[in-house]
Amino acid sequence: MTIPAAPAADAPPATPHRAGHKYQAVRAYLADLIENELAEGDALPSERALTDRFGVSRMTVRQALDSLAADGVLVREQGRGTFVAPARVDFEMRLTTFGEDVRRRGMAPGTRVLDAATVPAPTRVAEQLALEPGEPVHEVRRLRSADGVPMSLEHAWLPARLLPAMLDDGVPESLYGALRAAGYAPTWGEDTISASVATPDEATLLQMQGSLALLRTRRRTYAEDTAVMYSQASYRGDRYSVVVPLREAKPTIVPRAARDADGRTDR
Amino acid sequence: MTVPDAARAAAILDGLGGVDNVDEIDPCTTRLRTLVKDPARVDAAALRHAGAYGVMVSGRVVQVVVGPHADTIASDLAELL
Repeated sequence: MTIPAAPAADAPPATPHRAGHKYQAVRAYLADLIENELAEGDALPSERALTDRFGVSRMTVRQALDSLAADGVLVREQGRGTFVAPARVDFEMRLTTFGEDVRRRGMAPGTRVLDAATVPAPTRVAEQLALEPGEPVHEVRRLRSADGVPMSLEHAWLPARLLPAMLDDGVPESLYGALRAAGYAPTWGEDTISASVATPDEATLLQMQGSLALLRTRRRTYAEDTAVMYSQASYRGDRYSVVVPLREAKPTIVPRAARDADGRTDR
Repeated sequence: MTVPDAARAAAILDGLGGVDNVDEIDPCTTRLRTLVKDPARVDAAALRHAGAYGVMVSGRVVQVVVGPHADTIASDLAELL
């Protein structure tokens, strides 16, 4: 992947060393304020107040504010000031779809279908779905939003054999819903999560300003023994964080012979 | 599934190259993460036949995706080892 040119707001501060140091101090102060003192929508101290407090130039203050805006923790509104940005949506990775997740949070999910077609399975997809390469799959690409704000791009493939008529009346509102209706209710799956940078196309579709950080997931969904969907999603890094419930690790199983040998050497 | 539940653990152990080839098995939520002595003795096709949804080999670590039955299979494996 090539990294697209970062917009000005995302660029590291092009300042002499001393100013760089001051900029870090202002930034750290503001980050602490946002984290510990202020709530979503609260106004930050004015540029003037900050220049007075730190004895730095207005440019240095702006660099600190710009860098926090690029990280998505504050929003600047022309003529009004600077405010604490809405918190990220933290979601637990579960076997639900975007629409279900968003609705559960009291927001309205939105969908824009970018592509939908029945195509021969590309090799990589066929492997994930345990199909022969070229077997027909329904391919669906959608832009997902919550209360009108673009949140993620989803690309999904489903074996056409399982739901031959899935695309007959357009893309179903819920792909898991379509699977349930066809008798393939999702029962388990695996997500692989990685960090990445948005391509220019992704950044445009997701209306990303500032930070181009993405959270990418690849998921295999199963209905019991059957692989029913392979999907890739790109979530805006400034809008999402992931909660992972942790459990105590189950004990490691070691063959009896090795255990006995250990017992002899230990005692 | 091509192998009945009761025989699955034994079939997976065979696919991993047998008891002699296993150093340890870490049961995860949907996977068995196994440290083997000799990865060349691991038979991915046999593991898939035994019901694995995926087999990832990286050095001596073999991850066998077995789905939500990992717990049961791990208990059965503990008996066999």
